[in-house]
Amino acid sequence: MANKAMQLPRRQFLKTAFATGGAALLAPMIIPSSALGLDGAVAPSERVVVGGIGIGNRGTYDLGCFLEQKDVQFVAVCDVKEKRRTAVKKIADEKYGNENCKTYIDFRELLDRADIDAVLIATGPNWHATAAMAAAKAGKDMYCEKPVTKNIAQSLILAETMRRTGRVFQAGTQRRNLPHFAFACELARTGKLGKLKKVYAHPAGMQALMSGWLPPEPAPDKEVVDWNMYLGPAAWRPFNAKQLDGFNFEKGGGFIGAFNGGGVLEWGSHCVDLCQWAVGDCPPPVEYNAPKDGELVARYENGTELIFREKGWIPLGSCPVRFEGETGWVEAGDSGKLVLSSPELLAGKEVAEIGGYPATFHVRDFLDCVKTRGLPKGNADAACNAHIACHAANVALHLGRTVKYDNTTNEFVDDVQANRLRSEALREPWRL
Amino acid sequence: MLLTRHITRFLTLLAAVLVLTVTSVRAADDKASPQREQELLAILRSEAPDADKALACKNLAIHGSDESVPDLAKLLSEEKFASWARIALEAIPGPAAGEALRQASESLDGKLLIGVINSIGVRRDAKSVETLIVRLGDKDLDVASAAAVALGRIGNEDAIKSLRPLLASAPAGVRSAVAEGCVLCAERLHLAGKSAEAVQIYDEVRKAELPKQRLIEATRGAILARSPKEGLPLLMEQFQSPDKVFFQLALGTAREFPGSDVDQALASELAKSSKTAPDRAAIIVQAMADRPKTVVLAAVVKAAESGPKPVRLSAIGALARVGDVSCLPLLLESALDADEELAQVAKTTLGDIAGKGIDAQIVSLLAKAEGKKYPLLIQLVGKRRIQAIAALLKAMDHADKTVRGAALTALGETVTLKNLPVLITQAITPKRADDAPIAQQALKAASIRMPDREACAAELTTALDRSPAATKTVLLEIISDVGGTKALETVGASASSKDPLLQDVGSRLLGKWNSVDAAPVLLDLAKTSQDVKYQLRGLRGYIGLVRKFPMADAERAEMCQKAFEAAKQPAEQKLVLDVVKLHPGIETLKFAIKTIKVEGLKEEATQATLVVAQKLGSKGVDVKELLSTADLNKVKLEIIKAEYGSGATQKDVTAVLQKQAGDLPLITLADASYNTSFGGDPAPNTAKQLKVQYRINGKAGEASFAEDALIVLPMPMPK
Repeated sequence: MANKAMQLPRRQFLKTAFATGGAALLAPMIIPSSALGLDGAVAPSERVVVGGIGIGNRGTYDLGCFLEQKDVQFVAVCDVKEKRRTAVKKIADEKYGNENCKTYIDFRELLDRADIDAVLIATGPNWHATAAMAAAKAGKDMYCEKPVTKNIAQSLILAETMRRTGRVFQAGTQRRNLPHFAFACELARTGKLGKLKKVYAHPAGMQALMSGWLPPEPAPDKEVVDWNMYLGPAAWRPFNAKQLDGFNFEKGGGFIGAFNGGGVLEWGSHCVDLCQWAVGDCPPPVEYNAPKDGELVARYENGTELIFREKGWIPLGSCPVRFEGETGWVEAGDSGKLVLSSPELLAGKEVAEIGGYPATFHVRDFLDCVKTRGLPKGNADAACNAHIACHAANVALHLGRTVKYDNTTNEFVDDVQANRLRSEALREPWRL
Repeated sequence: MLLTRHITRFLTLLAAVLVLTVTSVRAADDKASPQREQELLAILRSEAPDADKALACKNLAIHGSDESVPDLAKLLSEEKFASWARIALEAIPGPAAGEALRQASESLDGKLLIGVINSIGVRRDAKSVETLIVRLGDKDLDVASAAAVALGRIGNEDAIKSLRPLLASAPAGVRSAVAEGCVLCAERLHLAGKSAEAVQIYDEVRKAELPKQRLIEATRGAILARSPKEGLPLLMEQFQSPDKVFFQLALGTAREFPGSDVDQALASELAKSSKTAPDRAAIIVQAMADRPKTVVLAAVVKAAESGPKPVRLSAIGALARVGDVSCLPLLLESALDADEELAQVAKTTLGDIAGKGIDAQIVSLLAKAEGKKYPLLIQLVGKRRIQAIAALLKAMDHADKTVRGAALTALGETVTLKNLPVLITQAITPKRADDAPIAQQALKAASIRMPDREACAAELTTALDRSPAATKTVLLEIISDVGGTKALETVGASASSKDPLLQDVGSRLLGKWNSVDAAPVLLDLAKTSQDVKYQLRGLRGYIGLVRKFPMADAERAEMCQKAFEAAKQPAEQKLVLDVVKLHPGIETLKFAIKTIKVEGLKEEATQATLVVAQKLGSKGVDVKELLSTADLNKVKLEIIKAEYGSGATQKDVTAVLQKQAGDLPLITLADASYNTSFGGDPAPNTAKQLKVQYRINGKAGEASFAEDALIVLPMPMPK
């Protein structure tokens, strides 16, 4: 295997993918758009009516991706924060030139609306699984930001619920619809790298993230911030403004003590997810070792290693992945770049270089599947497997030792302590 | 395969979820952590702050045993602790925790009761069935609903018996939860092989007055729990539903349905819908194609051949996934269709379609192709990377420019190193001048994908010597794209040649070289070129490498030193100092300190020194000793006013800054976080700034800093 990376010249790629629309031709497409009636004006009956739940920074970006789709009608927003409700309503109303976007504090009222087909869930991770399950039971399809679940039990129940309810679920793992990541995974999955030996995920550190119980502060008016709804399924604690950063609140999978593991879940739900795709979305690894020298090594049933690393090899942007086979390797990151052990691996293909965290293709994939009832790239089964891998790594991190996981029983093997960390009670009255 | 995988995965998942809950209530077989448990219980029993008690509960989820149960149970009636206590009580194995939840359920009400019932459901505590059955009649409909779902999770005979009659008799506000419980029970029965009983329950749910989503779940279950022979008619019935939601259910469930009879049924449905509801037919094709092992290919081909355009588009696209060599004639014809959209989809499918014999068939057809089909087949050779060099070489001599262009492009995509000279010749001395641009593009495509880039660069370098002047630039660009040692050598030689054109192109390409290997060549250019323009390109390229690539601190400091020495203008020297600020290290700090003495750079070098020192300091590196060697002018720093916040929400932090101000124009806070250092976040969820009014040596200045930025105060400039 070549030691030296073969950096592909930028010019080989489509430089102005978004500007020219060229990338759209390279984006994964299951069904031609005109077959779905997207070549002209979309009749109201063919539009996907969408509501938003918890629309903050990333959510506003996602919302933009929805709004640019011709067949989307965004009609309602729910947020526990007044500022956000108002801001999103303004965006939607300006887009449609009316004042029809309704606002809600309690997402259950939004879910009760029969006219809404699908929801964008971009709350903090504390709410993701609970809101997703409620949406599914209310008959809504959903695009749900990641990390999707807080523990192993939630991951399993999520997949099972989506199947039982027949809902279309797309996790916010937009990398699955970015050409360079998709290509890298395809190389690994289809044997182009030889027998797969190691898949590396770089979750940008395994640093502590904690959401404890901070000193009480005077709570704002419920209309301004509804603290009770903000806490939602998280165990009760008094209002403290420092915990209003929903992006980080209860993100670490609810771990205590050293509060390890937040980093694994936040970025792992992206890069571990890609590793899972690279290994064919098989069940997650069966063994997870405690971290050593900045690496946490996990092992799949077939011997392939999944390695969580804190640092990358080459500057490829945030959270890169690397797949190593017996005959070749590939790396990709959020810069949009693809680095190959040999340019031959490209096999003549042009792979669009799209950096950052664009979700347009992922949203389109979701909307297409809402119509065809197919399986989107970030479907619940795939998300379930990737999240279990992250949660199990978190358990190894938290316990500071090797844990073994049985994918048939979904239990840690002969390990009561680890098994107790598979789930966590939700605050009343919430249930999955 | 997809189908099998779906079903297998579903059963595995379902079994896993069942096991997950079952195992949580089995007898404790671990020793927990007795000592840790005692420590945590001591916290619960003390006057410790609420926060400590809450986290003690959470820790007891790992370390608690039966001994912890009574202490935790006491907290179930306290609103602030109940959720924390249940975290532990749900996790602690054994009957004691179950008993505690059961007892609590008899005395609590409202949300606290719902929480306890939910936990009983998660634990699947069969001993609680009677208690839950009583709660089914609770006047609080939310409590009754929670009990119904919990019974569904437990799913034993008694739970099933209690739920089924309520499908008809429960208040409307509870019925949906009862149905949810029933569906859970039916799933469990089906998994246990009791499908007939499961079907009965599903059918009862389907007949009840319920929200549509519950009916959807029951209908899906009713289809899949039946034998394939009995389930298929029920599935196909849903395709006829005028209700879009049931049609969608049919599409999803068809993908899960076992056996191949469903594929025949889908084929019939496609034929019917194509005439009556083309929009539905277009989507049915996609469901068919998601069953690649058993799909009725003839039906998809027929839909692709003729009929409503949306159906044709969908079917032609689907052939990429399920088509085989027999589909080639149709696809080739469609790719030349007058309708551009149909043609484009067909071309995409032709590029992607897998299967035995397709490549061979394309080569065979190519041999006798003519008209528009000829360039189309050539394009496919390129796109599919089929080795058909002889046919492509023949096509390169064709009278039609379109054919020649397609052949050149295909060569670019398929040629090996052995045949690369053919493309090189076409690129530098084409038989027909108007073929040159496309040949050059093809040569570039071929060159950058060559596995042995050194050999490729050597081949191109050889060609450079015999190339006409006009194409040397093109070749150099391609060599630069190939990269590697030989390419660097060639481009470097070009940059230092006496030919002004080559010098210009070479230095430009070197300046944006994307590998640190180019550093010595760039530095040499910076030092030895006679032309200032090229000196500058060399130096800026060199600085760019130092800035961009990861390297050891000492190596970066050494390269900074070399760049600094080669720099003839202060602007370039300042660029070097910017690099230092981006990559703080002990060695780069030493370098920055040295530059303070350079005339005309004192202020920038001081700034760089302070930035690096502060960044290192924030990581815990002791830089005091090094700083003491710096020729830093001590200043008299006065903080006049400092505010931190956003918009109208500002917090006065003057006193904090005044306290931290020393005799250098930088301020190190107690914590890297402004919010922590300034005693809280004055404007959560907004971008904040720190605004400082100050005087240095009596001169007034103002500066603003983004949240958590380093506070290095610029020297006030005289007005």
